[in-house]
Amino acid sequence: MTSITQALGKGIEKSGIDCRKISVPSDIPFSPEVVRELGVDYFQTPRGRAIAFGTGLKLGNPALKVVPIVGDLMTLGGNHFVHGGRRNMEVCVVCVNNFVYKKIAGKPVPFAAVTFSPYSAFEEPFNFPHLGNSCGAVYTARWTTLHTEELANSFAEALHKGGLSMIEVLAPGPNYYTDINGIESEILKFYYEHSVIKNNEDPRNVAITPEEKIIVGKFTDKERPTFIDSYNAQHSKILGDRFTPHGGKNA
Amino acid sequence: MKANPKDVLTGVYYIDGDVASGYGALAAGCKLVAGYPITPSTEAFEAMCRRGPQVGAVFIQMEDELGSMAAVLGAAWSGVKSMTITSGPGYSLMQENIGFAAMVETPFVLLNIQRGGPSTGVPTKTGQADMMQSRWGSHGDYELIALSPDSPQEMFDYTIKAFNLAEKYRCPVMIMSDECVGHMTEKVVIPEAEKIELEPRRLFTGQPDEYIPFKPDPDLVPKMAKAGDGFNLYITGLVHDERGHPIKNEEFKLKYIRRLVDKIRLNKEKIIELKEEGTDGADVVVVSYGISSRVAVKGVELARKKGIKVGTLRLVTVWPFPDERITKLAKKAKAFVVPEINYGQIVFEVARCSHGQANVVLVPHGGAGVHNPDDIADAIEYAVREEKKIEGVVEYKTRLEKLVFEGGYTLKE
Repeated sequence: MTSITQALGKGIEKSGIDCRKISVPSDIPFSPEVVRELGVDYFQTPRGRAIAFGTGLKLGNPALKVVPIVGDLMTLGGNHFVHGGRRNMEVCVVCVNNFVYKKIAGKPVPFAAVTFSPYSAFEEPFNFPHLGNSCGAVYTARWTTLHTEELANSFAEALHKGGLSMIEVLAPGPNYYTDINGIESEILKFYYEHSVIKNNEDPRNVAITPEEKIIVGKFTDKERPTFIDSYNAQHSKILGDRFTPHGGKNA
Repeated sequence: MKANPKDVLTGVYYIDGDVASGYGALAAGCKLVAGYPITPSTEAFEAMCRRGPQVGAVFIQMEDELGSMAAVLGAAWSGVKSMTITSGPGYSLMQENIGFAAMVETPFVLLNIQRGGPSTGVPTKTGQADMMQSRWGSHGDYELIALSPDSPQEMFDYTIKAFNLAEKYRCPVMIMSDECVGHMTEKVVIPEAEKIELEPRRLFTGQPDEYIPFKPDPDLVPKMAKAGDGFNLYITGLVHDERGHPIKNEEFKLKYIRRLVDKIRLNKEKIIELKEEGTDGADVVVVSYGISSRVAVKGVELARKKGIKVGTLRLVTVWPFPDERITKLAKKAKAFVVPEINYGQIVFEVARCSHGQANVVLVPHGGAGVHNPDDIADAIEYAVREEKKIEGVVEYKTRLEKLVFEGGYTLKE
């Protein structure tokens, strides 16, 4: 998590956006020190509700930049992501994938949770960039915590995107698990050996499979009207002067 | 603070309770409604979707009720008044975030147009069986406020009051209405904006570095800040100290949760609103709320014709419960009669507060309809004739129960 928040900090700086206008709803607990360092507003929501909570923040005050950080492979609240993408809600979703449930590279993942998968993980993981792209996300990318510079750049880009952007970050599980497995020092090496950067790769081809290397990079970067754009356009068309556009220049 | 004239549809209308509540919310300055439409509450959502965009209120149909509730809380922290509208099954899904809201002291209003339950139940017909859920639905210790209007006019008035209470006490406020009141069409008078008093948000006005998010004011309610104003907020559903930082310490937990509970309990007298009629010198007091109190009026009238001294106590505020008032009445009256559209919820609260000093008679109803006033009248008559003290709650067998079950089930070995 530390490398993700550090990259987020760098990304915010690069984006030139005032950190005070950034809200981070997350179901992952951050330490107060990290939040203070980032200078953002932080909300630890119930599990899986960060994107929906962020939707409310954005609609309540369209001037905010909202960065929901979700964990657990979006098992809880995955539907908020699907529909956030469909309506193109202006949030930058960070999906932290620590393979708690999943297998990788055809063998028990070094950083999988031994407590939940004592006989090694066997379920297939999601292809998140493909899922995001199909749901309508305007920006998808995947990085590991080894790619701190690239991740920071993605944050900077995504924060300026109009619509739902999604950055999947492959990260080691909580220290607790890495300690159990005794592989903390091996994780970055694992990422180094098992990942390959392929920007603009078709998201359909970036599934994490046991046989192939993990493809990282920026996969989607497109434009679509956001929820607020569509909301304003539709109501202006029907209601004319009776409607005051929400957010944007008139906010 | 007065209502904004733009938000208020001043005039005389013939509308149903759902629509009246929607208009009330907009008059109260609600600027975001997130929901997942569900019968029988849809008309309220529809009214807000139609009127909202004209007064700068945003509506969003979310993917589910979990998301709706989360969006409502997000909006509240962005600085606007927000609400959601639902019924039984949706209400169950919302419980998770209601607890979160109570924990981080987020003001919002939830309109629950109760329908027959459990589960999918009877979507188009009435029920009053979510009353205990509204009090204990989310896990952990917390207190909230629940109101129960009994007419479209009250739906308008008490929706505004609900927003005021939510802002004043920074807690979830439930409007526990029911299908009958929600779909009841009556005259509703919407006053001029200047006659509508609104409670502003308790915003912290000092410098961000002086702000302690959960430091209570003398009335135990802390000041709030908005996201995006540079307060570097740290808000978590974990037990936290005054700074909002997570703590696990036993003493701190006690201190924090105690205040969450006490900010409502100690302010009870200011929160609770009751409507009483003829309770002085009454032998029987009918305790009711929502649609049941409308039906009880007829039942009481019938009983009075028989010469029985009956008073009525209407719980406009159901939670926090008016313990003291019930205890006081129990010392004078012979019995309480509680008609409610469930198999006993609020009646047990009445029994708890009467401390065995008065008999407590439940007039149950399985839902999908309202009581027959004759049953309420008969229950009053039974209650006044019963000389001996009865422990616990007596369940009065209504005509419908007798007809359907021939007096009820008996278990055999």
